[in-house]
Amino acid sequence: MFGYQIKNALRSLRRNPVLSGLLVLAIALGVAVSTAALAVYYIYSGNPIPQKSDQLFYVELDNWIHPLDTKSDEPEDPPILIAYRDMIGLSQSDIPTYQSGMFRTHPTVFPNRPDQPPFGAKARMCHGDFFSMFDAPFAYGNRWDKSADTKPEPVVVLNAETNQKLYGGVNSVGKKLQIEDRLFTIVGVLAPWRPNPKFYDPDYGNSSTDIAEIFLPLAYYKLIEPTRTGTTICQGPMGPTLEDLLQSECVWIQMWVQLDSPQQKEEYLAYLDAYVTEQKKLGRYPRPLNNRLLSVMELLRDRKVVPEEAKGLAIISLLFLVVCSVNLIGILLGKFLSLAPQMGLRRAMGASKLSIFIQHIIECEVVGVLGGVVGLGLSVLVLAVVNRALGEAGAFGLDLNMLGAGLVLSLVAGLVAGIYPAWRICRVPPAVHLKLQ
Amino acid sequence: MVKIIELKDINKVYRTQHVETHALEELSLEVAKGEFISVMGPSGSGKTTLLNIIGLLDTFDGGSYLLDGDSVAQLGDRQMSRLRNAKIGFIFQSFNLIPDLNVFDNVEMPLRYRGMKAKQRREAVCEAVATVGLTSRLKHRPAQLSGGQQQRVAVARALVGQPNLVLADEPTGNLDSAMATDIMDLLGQINEKGTTVIMVTHDSELARRSKRQIHLLDGKVIDLTMVDPHTPLFDSPNNMNARG
Repeated sequence: MFGYQIKNALRSLRRNPVLSGLLVLAIALGVAVSTAALAVYYIYSGNPIPQKSDQLFYVELDNWIHPLDTKSDEPEDPPILIAYRDMIGLSQSDIPTYQSGMFRTHPTVFPNRPDQPPFGAKARMCHGDFFSMFDAPFAYGNRWDKSADTKPEPVVVLNAETNQKLYGGVNSVGKKLQIEDRLFTIVGVLAPWRPNPKFYDPDYGNSSTDIAEIFLPLAYYKLIEPTRTGTTICQGPMGPTLEDLLQSECVWIQMWVQLDSPQQKEEYLAYLDAYVTEQKKLGRYPRPLNNRLLSVMELLRDRKVVPEEAKGLAIISLLFLVVCSVNLIGILLGKFLSLAPQMGLRRAMGASKLSIFIQHIIECEVVGVLGGVVGLGLSVLVLAVVNRALGEAGAFGLDLNMLGAGLVLSLVAGLVAGIYPAWRICRVPPAVHLKLQ
Repeated sequence: MVKIIELKDINKVYRTQHVETHALEELSLEVAKGEFISVMGPSGSGKTTLLNIIGLLDTFDGGSYLLDGDSVAQLGDRQMSRLRNAKIGFIFQSFNLIPDLNVFDNVEMPLRYRGMKAKQRREAVCEAVATVGLTSRLKHRPAQLSGGQQQRVAVARALVGQPNLVLADEPTGNLDSAMATDIMDLLGQINEKGTTVIMVTHDSELARRSKRQIHLLDGKVIDLTMVDPHTPLFDSPNNMNARG
């Protein structure tokens, strides 16, 4: 019976292909817009590293000097970054499985090839643990040794795009690359890696931009002093030299640790408290103890990585789909009622009201699914346009979850559009039209 | 006499906001299995309403209706649909074939709603279509057939489920006299095989081919006439008249 109802539904759609095409197009537009908007929202709000998001923690220490920053939205919160001197202090701990301080810089890279001019690279200065901690995949080579973090050694890791740009994508490990005024040895090349959102750098929620092209040992910062980018917050006077900055209370370093168990986390929190208590004796940290460890998802929520605009856009796009569906109600009602005599005949031949209802719902769902398939295709195009417009920041696409969500949306849209017309047509008394047909 | 239909004091009222129309009033009728009955009467007398109620296509407001000995008053839509599918075949004045289905698919429709298997359906459809002499037209669409052929398809559709009762609402109304005779012959053959036939008609000559005529006026049976089909038309001194 179900097969027969599907056959009838398809036949009904074929009867008026232009009208059916318009119905499909209406659903397709709604699905395209809503799926694209949901994809943006989904990527922003998704867990970028589900396998260990509960083991990675972002460190916050409250070294604010003033009692309370009353202009802040959250005056009780510690600063979102830590001071360089605290990063050095915390790095002495052997509690975390991995740990890394990090910040963004913009050093000048001098390619080996004469046809390539020097360029300012987006760089991340970090510890070697960065790669292990965030499961960054290597295409060639590996992370630098821990010794390179302390000596420091002139080593560099390239991302896949930079390796492609500089060396045509071949294994460049062991080659020398001039950065600023020094030669660095390439020790690793990442495989394509674009965590989205870029959770490890949740600087004011601007997390999907500024993908690092090269990675350098953080300790090398003093030696090459590249242009520093990102946020620096100072609550007190600061001298003009680099050393002044490094010794100041200015916060500009991001600090991540990997703590594999709750006990490890507890132990590290105690370590932070002990560290700050010790610093208080030196006249620092005037505010009460307020150390925090934020897991990946806590951090993304705290930094409001999902822009309000994305949420609003998702809601509006869903409403647009509802409008598309509601608009179809009238068209479907007219289409169905025009076939009332035929339905009267089917009732006379033994079809129940439920059977007629199901046949029409199937027809609407076929429209929904076709609209969904076309809509998902359009959605891919929309996201491609968005990605193109955003440049590097655009990494939106449809994964299996979003494809599934798109199809569910299209089924719901078909149901919303069809349920009332199907109910109406199944309730038409069969006798009314049999005589008139 | 085994009764297939027992209607007792049936009322049917159509209501609009301002008007109440009594389509049937206290109508009682009994039909034996294997009968061939004509229902006659002027327009608006309630013929089609009666046929719709008998065919479970319409409800009634009062009275009782036993179909094959079972009351239909309390049946739900699904039970009613199942009963209609199993026991009743319909033939309409305007054939009511679905234009984008071929002959096979049109005739097959009742069996589809019965949930019959494909092989059995195919056999039943071929047999019914053969009965009406349209085997060579199985793949034709209604628009490719003459009026008479279309009505033959409708007859095949009514017969395919082997119903106990065939209801024909002016089955020859859209046909010329030759084709009408053709269809009436078919109905006669159906009846001879034991199927009860109730036919609404305006044509008294065609009505004479039935075994009993019922005359309706303003929703009431005014005349039950037993017809001797061998008696010439307009010459019925031996006819038995009864007031309903």
